[in-house]
Amino acid sequence: MSRGMPRASGYFRTDYAQDLALTQTRLERASLLAFAVMLAAFPFLATAFYLDLACQVFLAAIGALSLMLLTGYAGQISLGHAGLLAAGAFTAGILFREFNAPFWVTLPAAAAVGALLGIVFGLPSLRLRGLYLAVSTLALHFVVVYLGGEYESKRGYSTGIMIDAPTIGGYAITNGRVWYFVLLVAAAATLLICINLLRSRTGRAWRAIRAHETVAEALGINIAAYKLLAFVISSAMAAVAGALFAYYRHFVSVEAFSLFLSIQYVAMIIVGGMGSLLGALLGAVFVTLFPYLIEAALQQLPNAQSYAGVLFAVNYAAFGVVMILFLLFEPLGLVGIWHRVQHYFLLWPFKHRPVAGAGK
Amino acid sequence: MSEPALLTVEKLEVVYHRAITAVQGISLSVRKGQIVAILGTNGAGKSTTLRAISGFLGIDDARVTDGSVTFNGKRIENRQPNEITRLGIALVPERDKVFPNLTVIENLTAPFAPAHYNRRDNEVLAYQFFPRLAELRSRTAGLLSGGERQMLALASALVCRPELLLVDELSLGLAPVVVQDLMARLVQIRHELGTTIVVVEQSAAAALNVADYGYVLENGRVVLDGEGARLRAHGDIQEFYLGQTSSSDRRSYRSVKQYRRSRRWYG
Repeated sequence: MSRGMPRASGYFRTDYAQDLALTQTRLERASLLAFAVMLAAFPFLATAFYLDLACQVFLAAIGALSLMLLTGYAGQISLGHAGLLAAGAFTAGILFREFNAPFWVTLPAAAAVGALLGIVFGLPSLRLRGLYLAVSTLALHFVVVYLGGEYESKRGYSTGIMIDAPTIGGYAITNGRVWYFVLLVAAAATLLICINLLRSRTGRAWRAIRAHETVAEALGINIAAYKLLAFVISSAMAAVAGALFAYYRHFVSVEAFSLFLSIQYVAMIIVGGMGSLLGALLGAVFVTLFPYLIEAALQQLPNAQSYAGVLFAVNYAAFGVVMILFLLFEPLGLVGIWHRVQHYFLLWPFKHRPVAGAGK
Repeated sequence: MSEPALLTVEKLEVVYHRAITAVQGISLSVRKGQIVAILGTNGAGKSTTLRAISGFLGIDDARVTDGSVTFNGKRIENRQPNEITRLGIALVPERDKVFPNLTVIENLTAPFAPAHYNRRDNEVLAYQFFPRLAELRSRTAGLLSGGERQMLALASALVCRPELLLVDELSLGLAPVVVQDLMARLVQIRHELGTTIVVVEQSAAAALNVADYGYVLENGRVVLDGEGARLRAHGDIQEFYLGQTSSSDRRSYRSVKQYRRSRRWYG
């Protein structure tokens, strides 16, 4: 993790343990705790609609975090993310339908399938870069979705595969509140895994590769291995997110995994802020809630009923406009805005930070 | 002088895109603990030679087609760069030598370092030669000045604990006073760690001040070699590279020698 600047004035680190601590100041710990309490209280205050939104956000967060590892940190562009989610969802669906497998089998299986696909998705990255790599992952996206569609039509599930709720000790998880906590824990676990990976040698190697492959290679980093590892880990996480999605919706269908979904995930990490896990989370929240915001905004207009027909189109258009605006005016994304706010209050009421090293 | 050669390059030939011969039969030998300078103008084959040693030819679609590179008794030509680094050869590239999106400390912890060294060891090693980096510890490397970047690049290479340090164009884009200081650090590194160093340079003066031995390349061949002090005093070097000429027209080393190429080779 990048810890470029202290988060509070007058706070200096004096040993390595402090460097490695997850939270560094009392304020950080306090705000984290407050946030956790808020998250825990949310399902008891919210309606079913908002509960569903929160669950969608958590699922998106897992997907966005995994894509952030790959694109935001290791610098490998992928347009095949929806394909990986589909692979996870279909693994869960097929195993459930064909073998009646319980979720504690299907989830690891989805991760394994994701990891395998990660190698396949990753192999072109050893040769290709940038746009070319994006196109090759796009091709694989279509292969996966095609295979899923073939399974659906061959087995007669033309409208999609139904999946029963996962059961733990005879108790089926159907309640929205329980789902909320299950997905919250899954998202939090993913976040912790990501944080730890990025603080390790692996994370540094990824960021080094993103910065300069040649230099990374010159400094003894095995680029091919770390690139593949990035694809494997990211794909496994995405596949698990896909499987969770399948269980949450009780339903798997290729229609859910269109190219637009891939674009949405790319949008999440761009809008959120490249190279930041917080950015992935903010992006997941933003992109998931955005259509609902637009819908709510349209509802406020006079004679809202007449707009109902164009809602879909307006949504797409507004989404595109927001993407362009972010790329133009806030390339660092939501996280960039957040950091500016932080820095403002870090020095408040002063306007500028002193030149480093001055006064020594 | 009786030390065995750490690195031997023999009759090296490198071909780019299977068509253009950049290096035609260069031989050099670097003994343990030496600082060796490879000099020459643009296109002389210096960087290509360095890339052949460090394994970076593949990236530019070039390969060693003849001759050998031997390091510590092992043949290393056409091996993977990271493999070569692990064998004990670290390269400081010409441009783009640090990770601009990582902080200084992250730059220092990113390289492959032998497992028995921890973060603290690596930092201590880096600051031993470049104390300035300690002050910049948590600054993003993209914000460093050219000289500071070069320090960071050298320090990151040292973290790999190389036996042989290859430095490509240390002086590129740096003020002479900074170059002098960095050259002095190279001497210090050799003195305190016993690292063998090969510098590739266009500015012959700076390199020959610290080098024990030097090779002058032109058109992919070694045209002159000798001990640092002797090369420094050599008339042609003075005229061509150090600019200490009485006449105003500067000529290529080869035309100085009235050398005429009878044949041109393509392929």
